[in-house]
Parts: sequence; C-alpha cells; structure tokens
Amino acid sequence: MASVASSLTLPLSLRVPLIVAGLMVLMGLIASQLVMSSLVRSQERQLSDLARSDFVTLSTTIAPLIQRQDIWEMYDVLDRATQRTGGFSAISASLVDARGRVIVSTRPEQYPVGAHGVDLIASSVPVTELSYDNAQDVISLRDVIVYQGRPIAQFIIEFDASALAAERRQTWFWLIAGNAAATGLLALGGYFMIRRVLAPIGRLSRAMSVPGGPPQAFAPEMIPHRDRELANLYETYNSMTRAVEARSLTERRLAERERFVSLGRLSGTLAHEINNPLGGLLNSVDTIKRFPERSDVVLKSADILERGLKQMRDVARSTLSTYRNDLATLPLTTADFEDLYLLIRPEIERKAQELHWNIDVDDADCAALPAGPVRQVLLNLLLNASGASDAGTELGLRIGVEAQTLHLTVWDSGPGLPPHVRPRLLSDAPVDPGGGLGLRLVRDLVTSLKGDIRLSRTENGYSAIIVTLPLSPAEEKSDDA
Amino acid sequence: MTREGRFDRRAFLSSLTAGLATARYASARGQPPLRIGLTPVFLDNEWQVLESLRAHVVTVTGQHVEFVQRRTYQEVVALLLLGELDTAWLCGYPLMQRPDRLTALAIPVWRGRPLYQAYIIAAENRDAETLSDLKGDIHAYSDPDSNSGHLVTVAELLAQNERPEAFFDTSFFTFGHRNVVRAVAQRLAGSGSVDGYIYEALSTAEPDLVDRTRVIWRSDWHGFPPVVIATERKDSMATAALSRALFEIEATEPGREALRQLQLDGFAHPRPDSFDSIAALMARVADRG
Repeated sequence: MASVASSLTLPLSLRVPLIVAGLMVLMGLIASQLVMSSLVRSQERQLSDLARSDFVTLSTTIAPLIQRQDIWEMYDVLDRATQRTGGFSAISASLVDARGRVIVSTRPEQYPVGAHGVDLIASSVPVTELSYDNAQDVISLRDVIVYQGRPIAQFIIEFDASALAAERRQTWFWLIAGNAAATGLLALGGYFMIRRVLAPIGRLSRAMSVPGGPPQAFAPEMIPHRDRELANLYETYNSMTRAVEARSLTERRLAERERFVSLGRLSGTLAHEINNPLGGLLNSVDTIKRFPERSDVVLKSADILERGLKQMRDVARSTLSTYRNDLATLPLTTADFEDLYLLIRPEIERKAQELHWNIDVDDADCAALPAGPVRQVLLNLLLNASGASDAGTELGLRIGVEAQTLHLTVWDSGPGLPPHVRPRLLSDAPVDPGGGLGLRLVRDLVTSLKGDIRLSRTENGYSAIIVTLPLSPAEEKSDDA
Repeated sequence: MTREGRFDRRAFLSSLTAGLATARYASARGQPPLRIGLTPVFLDNEWQVLESLRAHVVTVTGQHVEFVQRRTYQEVVALLLLGELDTAWLCGYPLMQRPDRLTALAIPVWRGRPLYQAYIIAAENRDAETLSDLKGDIHAYSDPDSNSGHLVTVAELLAQNERPEAFFDTSFFTFGHRNVVRAVAQRLAGSGSVDGYIYEALSTAEPDLVDRTRVIWRSDWHGFPPVVIATERKDSMATAALSRALFEIEATEPGREALRQLQLDGFAHPRPDSFDSIAALMARVADRG
C-alpha cells in the first residue's frame, strides 16, 4: 500500500501549483457564495417590499367594498390588479371571510363565491414570513385585512416570481461562469508561476534520480545564482556528486584489488599444490637416470612425470584464467566450473573441509553469461564460505537452470553469513571500514548482470547463498546499444 | 377595428371643431352648458360615442355639453330631480318609478322599433336550457333600478312561482350591463341579467367576450330605455335644445356617427303606452310585496 501511495503522490513541482490552484478555486467558491447570499437577502427585501406594497394598496381599496359586500367591485379591483405585468406581479387574488368562505376570487371557476377557501389559506404563507426559500415560480402570500380596527378578511395573493427565479438562475449562472473563468485563469497563472518558481527544485530532483547511473553535477551556468538559497542547494548537490564519484572510484579500485586479494589467499595453497608433486617428479627423474636401460621403469616414471606435470599445468592454467582480462567477454562454459574446482579444492583440503560439487548445466545453458564475472562471484563466495567455516565443515556448489535463470547455490554446514556482513552482499549501503570488499564485489557483479542474491537454506538445513542470473544478456546488450 | 380607428380621428376632429364653435357660442350668448346624465349601465369605455354626441349637440344647439356620469340610476335620478342635470339617459324602470316627476323626452329606435328585450345569459359551455336550470346559481344583476338588468328577471321568477331572493344562491349587482357579461364570461357568476340591446351591441364590439356566454332566456319586448327630463323642466330652453339635438341627430355627421356607434336608428317621440309593459312588471313585483 505504501508503495502504491507513493506512486500516486504527485511530484512537488506539480503538487504545490495544484494546491495553489485549488485554494484559488476554493476562494472563488466562497466569493460566489457570499455574493449569492447577498443577492438572496436583497431579493428577499425586494420581494417583501413589493408584496407588502401591493397588500397595503389593495387592502385600502378593497376593505370598504368588503364591508359593503360589493362582490363585483371587489372582483373588478382584484381583476385589474392581477392584469398587470412585471417582474413580480400578482397573478391571482382571493378574499376569504372569517368563516373560511370565499368572498371573491379572480379564479372564480376554482374558487366560486361562497366556496370553501381554507385550502387557499393553507397553501399560502403570511406576507411577513416571505423568504427566498419559497420563491418558486409562484408565491402565495396572505395578509389580514383590517377595517375600522376589525379583521374582516384574509387576503391571499399569488405572485408570479418566475422572472425573479429566472434572474436568480441567470445570476447564479453568470456568477459561477464568471468566477469559474476568473478562478480558472488565476489558478492557471498561479500554477505556471509556482511551477516556474519550483523549476530549479524539479531539475535538482530529476538530476538526483537519474536511473542507472551516478548523479550528475550541474554545470556552473545552470546554477541559479540570483537565488542565494537555490544556489547553495545546487552547490551542495554538486559537492555531493563529487564525493559520490570519488567514493565510487575508490570502490572500483578496491574491487579491482580484491581479485588479486583472492589470488593472494590462494597463493600458498597453489604453491603447495605445485610443490607436492615436485618431490615425486624429481624421484621419477632420479629413477629414470638410474635405470635408463629398464624400459618398464622409464615408462612408469615418465607416466608419473606426465601426470604430475599435467596437474601442475592445470593449476597454473586455472590461476591464469581467473585473472585474464578477456574472460570478461568470453562466454561461460562448464570448463570454467572445472577451473574453479581446481582452484578451490586445494584450499578446502588444506582446511580439512569437505567439498560437494554439483554442476547440472551444459555449455549451451550458460553461454549467454560472461565467464569472468561469474567465476569471480563463485570464487569469492566459496572462499568466503571456506574461510568462515571450521575444519570438518561441509560446503558445496550447486548450479542449475530454471525458467531461463541460472541458479548458483553456495552452501555450507557452518554458521552461515554473519548478520553484520550481510549488508555487504544484500544491499548498497555503505561498507563499514575495515572489512574486505569481496562480498560487495559479488553484489556489484551480480547487479551488473541484472541478477539477484538472497539467503536461504538447503533441504538439509544448511545455510545457503543463492545467486540467480537471467539468461538473456544478449537482449540486454542490444538494449544497451 | 380599423373602421373604429378611422372614426376616432374623425370624431376627434369633429369634437375639436365643435368645441371651438361651442366656445364661440357660449361666450357670445353666455349660456350654461347642457348637462347630460349617464350611467355605466349604458356606457362603459365608450368615450368615442360621447365625443360624437358632444360634437353633434354642440353643432345643433350651439351650447357646450357636459356629460355627468354616476354609478347607479339612483344617483342620476337624484341629480335630475335636484335640477343638477338637464336630461339623462335612463331606463324605463326608474322613469315609471317617478311618473309624476319624470318625463320621457325621446325614445331610441333600435332595429326599426323603440323596443328591446331583457336577456338572461349563462356561460357558453353551461348545461342549461331554461331559467329554472339556473336555480342555485350565483347571479349577476346590473342595477337594482334597471328594467332588463333586474326587474324583468325578478318578475319572471315571480311569474314562475319562484322566490327571487331564494332562487339564486348568491346574487350581486355589477352596475353595468357590460360588467354582467364580463362576470358571466369570466365565470364569477353562473348567470346574469342583461339588456338585450347592450348584449347585441357588444357581440359586434367585443365578440371574444360575448362568445364566452350564451342567451338562456329572452323577455318580452319592452320600451327602449328613454332620454328623460324632470317634468318641471319640460318647457325650458335646455329641454328644447336637447329635443332638437335628439330628433335632428341624423342632420350632422357626428350625430350619424354616434348612431352608428350606438347601433341605433334614431330617436322617436315616446307614446303614452311605451312603458306600460314595464309598469306591469312593477305591478307584479309590488303585488308580491
């Protein structure tokens, strides 16, 4: 989830401008709301004033007519009053007496004289309670007509508020459209302005996260000298890149040396390996000298000599192969594993350890990988396993192919890789001073081959280091090209 | 409408000419204007007719004319009896209420006769065929002192052995025959009592209004609403001038125009029995108490 969240998080150079734009939109909304509420209050006052004015005017005219029960005159007055047109005009008017009977209505078919008028009252609101919320297309308002201090009728007027409702809708539309346009422009402007301000930060961020290579320093002309803070940041970054480069160079040199360190570690054993047969060989030479006429003795001694010399030749060839530079490009073969066996076996025997060698691949399987890095990886891991284990320990190498991946498993029955050295093999964390660089070299080589390293256990429960290398370097090369 | 518009301009010009003539005559002779009383029962929104009449009277009599409008017959009759008016266009019913003090000066001729009918009308889509179908209605009368707009209906209900005050659920007065038609057309009233002459005139002038109503019942023929004077002013100069103006109405263009607008043929001398039928209705109502 965390990785998903981090992948969804926008970069700073986009996030900040978007936040600014969002705040501007919010400001626009608040401004629109304020304007609309002000308009609503204004229209409420306007409606209330207009309605009250109509009620007062008509009530004054009609009250004596109610008193005289002059139905026609009441109707005529109301009918004329409801013939007006305008923004907020009466469209019908009715009078209801104290018993709830219609005195007269300008909608006589619906409310004839003397009919029940209670629903007319029920469907209206007092003019004093007029609010914009009930300002639909038609508003029904009522008031009490008082004549000579006595309430004589309920006066219900329906007003046509469609023009006001339309005005409100139109105002809403233009306000929202105007504010949206203004906010959009401001937000866009703010977005680009902030993006421009943050552009140097973005460049810095991109330079720091270039994939597949060390961070690159900025050229002096790219440093924004006008902004002191940013200039300091860029210079600090440049200092950091130089430090990283220097460290990387040092590590490369140390790794190069490591190849010879492993040879140094083997040199005594190799000398012993050469020295051992020498005594037997010299004895054979003496024998040949003493019994030159005895062909059977000469042949036997020559045979001994040949075997001894072949052994010495193989040891020398293996040692030389390990340090030949062209191995880096030659394809890996099963002969390389045999060379490794020759190199490591004497060291194992010297330490009275038991070596298990299980190679289950052929040349075609591993031809896609370069010989040099793979040999160096295995040599370092085997030497490390042997060095960290006591006499009598079993250790071994198992090689196989599975799903287009070469699996190299180096295992031992010893205590396994101590935790404090694991980061050298399993991470890119800086290496603690004092330790060797053999395991870090293994990691670098595996990484360069797009491979992976993990710790595991064999089926016997022995600790194991498993290196997996994809068997598709040809594609990688073409990609690199 | 085009015809009316054309006439309006002519009426205005006639009025202007007559007005100037009146001013000249009035200032020369120092005579007071002729005061003519009217009610909205007859005339409502008909200022063109008044202008034509004014122009005609001024032309014939040389006297300025002052129209005095009141809402009810009662008010106009009161002014006439007080001498505030020289004449008034009333109805036969108020005339017959004061036969001792009022005299008919002239009686309009409509469709060749000085007679008219009262109509009882209802909404055009109303399911009613006879007067009895209107029982329980909201009914619109014209004026309490109107023959066609009140008396005829009350008398007819009595003739049908109905109680006029109970026959209709509610009744009210509109004080104008046109208002009766409006009340029925707009469904304020279910039915109404209206002057047949006014109804027919409106069917030409405002067909949209009249088409929303239909006649349910027609009365007998009665004497047409007359032009009335106070009896004691029968021999006055004003009466003579008015009499001349009325009986010579076809002598001037404004007079002929006024007749066209009023859809009348002219004025006739009333006969002693012109309003006997109205008197009979009054007697029927009075007999009932």
